[in-house]
Amino acid sequence: MSKNLRINKNNFIDQTIRISFKFNGQKLFGFKGDTLASALLANDIHLVGRSFKYHRPRGIMTCGSEEPNAIVQIGNDPSSTEPNVRATEIELYEGLEAYSQNCWPSVNFDIGGINNFLSPLLPAGFYYKTFMWPASFWEKYEFFIRHSAGLGKSPTKPDTDLYDHQYAHCDVLIIGGGISGILSAKLAAEKGLNTILIDDKNCLGGSTIYQEDDCFKINNDYSNKWLKKEIDNFKNYPNLLIKKRTSLAAFHGYNYLLAKENLTDHLGANERKNKIRQRLWKIRAKKVVIATGSIERPLIFNNNDRPGILLSSSIKKYIDFFGVKNGNEISLFTNNDSAYETAISLNKSGVKVNTIIDIRENSTSSLVKKIQKIGINILWGHTIVNTNGYKRIKSINVQKLSANGESVVGKRIKINCDCLGMSGGWTPMVHLFTQSGGKLKFKDKDYIFIPDMNKSPSDQISVGSCNGNFELDDLISNTIKNIKIFLDLDKTIYDNLNVVCSKESEKRNIWLLPSDKPLSKTKPFLDFQNDSTAKDVKLALREGFKSIEHVKRYTTTGMGTDQGKLSNMHALGIIADTTGTNMGDLGTTTFRPPFTPLTFGSIVGRNVGEFFDHTRKTAIHDWHVENNAKFENVGQWKRAWYFPKNNETMFQAVQRESKAARDGAGILDASTLGKIDIQGTDASEFLNRVYTNAWSKLAIGKCRYGLMLNEDGMVYDDGVTTRLGENHYIMTTTTGGAANVLSKLEDYLQTEWPELDVYLTTVTDQYSTISICGPRSKNIVKKIIPDLDLSDVNFPHMSFKNSKIDNVNCRIMRISFTGEHSYEINIQSNYAKDVWIKCMEAGKEFNITPYGTETMHLLRAEKGFIITGQDTDGTLTPSDLQMDWIIGKKKYDFIGKRSLYRSDTIREDRKQLVGLLTEDPLEVLEEGAQLVEDINKKPVEMLGHVTSSYFSPNLKKSIALAVVRSGKKLKGKRLIVPMENKNINVTITDTVFYDKENKRLNA
Amino acid sequence: MLNFNSTIKQKKTYSDIKIEEIEPIIKINLRSKKREFSKKIGKILSILPPTEANTSSGNEDYNLLWLSPDEWLVYSNNKNQSLKEQIDMEDKLFDEISKLNQGAVTNVSDHWVMINFKGHKIYDLLSKSCPFNFNEFKRKKGSVAQTLVNHVDVILHNKYDNELNLFVRRSFSEDLWLWINDSARFI
Repeated sequence: MSKNLRINKNNFIDQTIRISFKFNGQKLFGFKGDTLASALLANDIHLVGRSFKYHRPRGIMTCGSEEPNAIVQIGNDPSSTEPNVRATEIELYEGLEAYSQNCWPSVNFDIGGINNFLSPLLPAGFYYKTFMWPASFWEKYEFFIRHSAGLGKSPTKPDTDLYDHQYAHCDVLIIGGGISGILSAKLAAEKGLNTILIDDKNCLGGSTIYQEDDCFKINNDYSNKWLKKEIDNFKNYPNLLIKKRTSLAAFHGYNYLLAKENLTDHLGANERKNKIRQRLWKIRAKKVVIATGSIERPLIFNNNDRPGILLSSSIKKYIDFFGVKNGNEISLFTNNDSAYETAISLNKSGVKVNTIIDIRENSTSSLVKKIQKIGINILWGHTIVNTNGYKRIKSINVQKLSANGESVVGKRIKINCDCLGMSGGWTPMVHLFTQSGGKLKFKDKDYIFIPDMNKSPSDQISVGSCNGNFELDDLISNTIKNIKIFLDLDKTIYDNLNVVCSKESEKRNIWLLPSDKPLSKTKPFLDFQNDSTAKDVKLALREGFKSIEHVKRYTTTGMGTDQGKLSNMHALGIIADTTGTNMGDLGTTTFRPPFTPLTFGSIVGRNVGEFFDHTRKTAIHDWHVENNAKFENVGQWKRAWYFPKNNETMFQAVQRESKAARDGAGILDASTLGKIDIQGTDASEFLNRVYTNAWSKLAIGKCRYGLMLNEDGMVYDDGVTTRLGENHYIMTTTTGGAANVLSKLEDYLQTEWPELDVYLTTVTDQYSTISICGPRSKNIVKKIIPDLDLSDVNFPHMSFKNSKIDNVNCRIMRISFTGEHSYEINIQSNYAKDVWIKCMEAGKEFNITPYGTETMHLLRAEKGFIITGQDTDGTLTPSDLQMDWIIGKKKYDFIGKRSLYRSDTIREDRKQLVGLLTEDPLEVLEEGAQLVEDINKKPVEMLGHVTSSYFSPNLKKSIALAVVRSGKKLKGKRLIVPMENKNINVTITDTVFYDKENKRLNA
Repeated sequence: MLNFNSTIKQKKTYSDIKIEEIEPIIKINLRSKKREFSKKIGKILSILPPTEANTSSGNEDYNLLWLSPDEWLVYSNNKNQSLKEQIDMEDKLFDEISKLNQGAVTNVSDHWVMINFKGHKIYDLLSKSCPFNFNEFKRKKGSVAQTLVNHVDVILHNKYDNELNLFVRRSFSEDLWLWINDSARFI
């Protein structure tokens, strides 16, 4: 049965609402407003986890995002369980279930604890040194290392929670709702600026909001009372948006910031349903005020990691804010005045403070005087040399420090305690400042890195304790002074504040406190999560690592989920002391985003499931769906792939469709092709420059195929362009290339050829294209548009006619991608579905068969027509494709022309497009398969690969296209396609397999 | 007679947001760098093409949206215009601009789908996936923005206070409509 350490006081916890939760299966109770950590402490539970390497018992150490020990697994549902959640940050809710991590079978009895006894064998670098030999054993080592790596368990099923994103733009963003953030927000809002204030807690005010002591007063009021009034006054500012439970994750350049808002993590399961769990805010701010405060440092002494040892300021927050005492006999260990504030709070709440151990020789501040008046015992100039207790601290051993602080002298004093608060001073939270590109400077007096305002990106400022102002009067006056300059204010409502606070008179800093034992026999932990000690840092230095970045990686200091918030400064200090270097010269490790962890869900937002990728649909899409089409993704389009009937396989469906298109009529939705409307007096000249062939003489009403090259002479895109009028063309592009082609052409017009009078407008979605092919296509079009003269004389291949279907204008192109007599009907998309249905009805008697992209590919391959992107890959010239005929040799210029005459592009042994026939006509090659000549010659020489391959029902044999080195010369040559289980013999042929004389175009 | 098949056939209402497709209306893309162009447009539509970036001009019948220094989008306010009236308007513009080499007139009525948004929270909704800063846009009637909503290219036209028209390519319209309705649930 756990004890209840709750005291009945404070305004922050609603003790009328009791909340039940489970920790490691044990049912416990807390109150609304508790964090998991405060609720556990209220139940006298300190032991919450085991350390990563030595599996040492660890307890709650802090009350915020810097927590290194109390990281727990939340829930056990395989889709929502979450590892590495800080107990200090998660708010208690009804039904919360949390589990300790990195322990088996339980946190109380952990088999892995044996590592603690083996620790002398496991120094820093143990893994790097041990598992390098013998090299062949690595895979065996890896199996075990992988099993022991990491903390917690990942969910095994998809996350069922909802997440989303929100963009926000503001004049001023203030990060942090402590007193300096509150003052800044008020001043910005007062000026009428569009202001956002974010804070990771659900209560604004930082540590001042629970600082009720006559040592700290503002305008003769307790600082907390004064601040509360200011916060209450926020509702008068409609231009101020306050986002609580929102933590800033990243500060990118030019004031672009990411923040995660927790919307339902504090709610019980029933209240969460159908609500967004977390929202990622993407904020663009004209100005940013960083008011992230500072975190208290631990002290580094022997066995400073036992459960029951907390930061002194956290003990204060637990008692003042949550109404939880952390023990019944508390001692404090400090090098500054902060621990005295804690002692006052504890004393006020009736909690016994045994002793304050202060490494300083004396202090005369008002806080210290107050403690002396109360009568709490202070041991000046002393240090803790050891702590005792395994799963909870029981006592401490204290000795007098020598004058230089490097050793201890005198008798060892044993003091019983069940809780120890330590305070090693304060570290400004400069992470976000450095993420944004700011540089730090070292302030020797306070042993801290602070933002160097001379090396700060513009339009941002750090205020408050994150700027090194720790005392209330300095903090307020400097914040106001700096914000006035930053926001260009003449006067502020805070100009005449009367601030009273205790002033710290003495400082003493010792990064590594001595013990009565040699360092090698002690365990002074720096990084509590990764079990990195001061000894490890010294070992790294002895082994030649000097850069802080190298020491960090060798010792893993600062590489846990807390990212070294508590450990980095001490590591730096110890390196500086050991090497005799100035800390400022050492610099810090790089603070990278995220500052606080982000869930994958919040990064992804709603872009999951049906919103994972975008889908473009043609106007006829619904008909395809209704008629059982299978779809393939082409770019973002959903294109009908094939239309299976009666449980046909894809192969069977494609064979049937292909046969029908050649024997009767086939119909294809070709709407996805890119379409660009080209107008202007220089349109013909423009096309001359864009395509390899000549366009000036193309008659109005005629169509022409064009090949577009990149500047390097390689084939980029292709399509048919039709001359609609004297200065009016419509160009078609490939489906996937449409957007890029338009951008490229617009780019050329704006930058290279501004003299041309040409205008481009995309009309891809304006017109749907219905392609009807086959010997009966003419009959079908005739039935739909009876007035249209379809005679070959008046409407020959590669020409177009304007027409009407019912009352709607349309363009009919007589062009073919299948080699069959074909028509393409281009009509406004909103009428396309009806036209398609009309075609199907008209074509019934001719066995019109809808076909998809796979049949289209097969039919064009029979004719040897290329598909850009399938038969080409950006490395083939027109000549490589055996399309020399399309290069206008008399043309002055076109994109890529010069490159066609480079020594490399005229090489005869380039890969060139060829046809392939298999020895066994039923054997269909795999696309991508390699082609070789001699399988026995090692290494096997790869001559090329298959680009397109099908079984042709019309030719009753397998056909393929391939690119082969010197392919043009190799017609008739036998090659081998080596596959996993067999070698396939093939012969190089012409690329055209079907109707070489093009008789069917006019059939 | 062929039927007009728009992509979105529903109206949706959420807390403080109403969304519906407004079709069929004529939309014409205009491009020109010629001096005479503005005058000709003024004569035909009784409005001049705006020259200030991201603005629009309009009258009872038409809106003219600035898209680039040489490109504008015209759309009609009249949902009841017949197809013949639409074609006549297009022909008139084409004859005066394109045929006389004063620029380019291209019918894009079916290229763009116009979705009308009304309500106090329409900008909160769009800001869920749109990086554009609406602070100025929403204050200035007639503002035009070309941006991305849920990664899809759109044109936005501020019609009135808390009312805007969004133009999206027809092929993306269903996809965007799905996203809009999904996100509107959480406003």
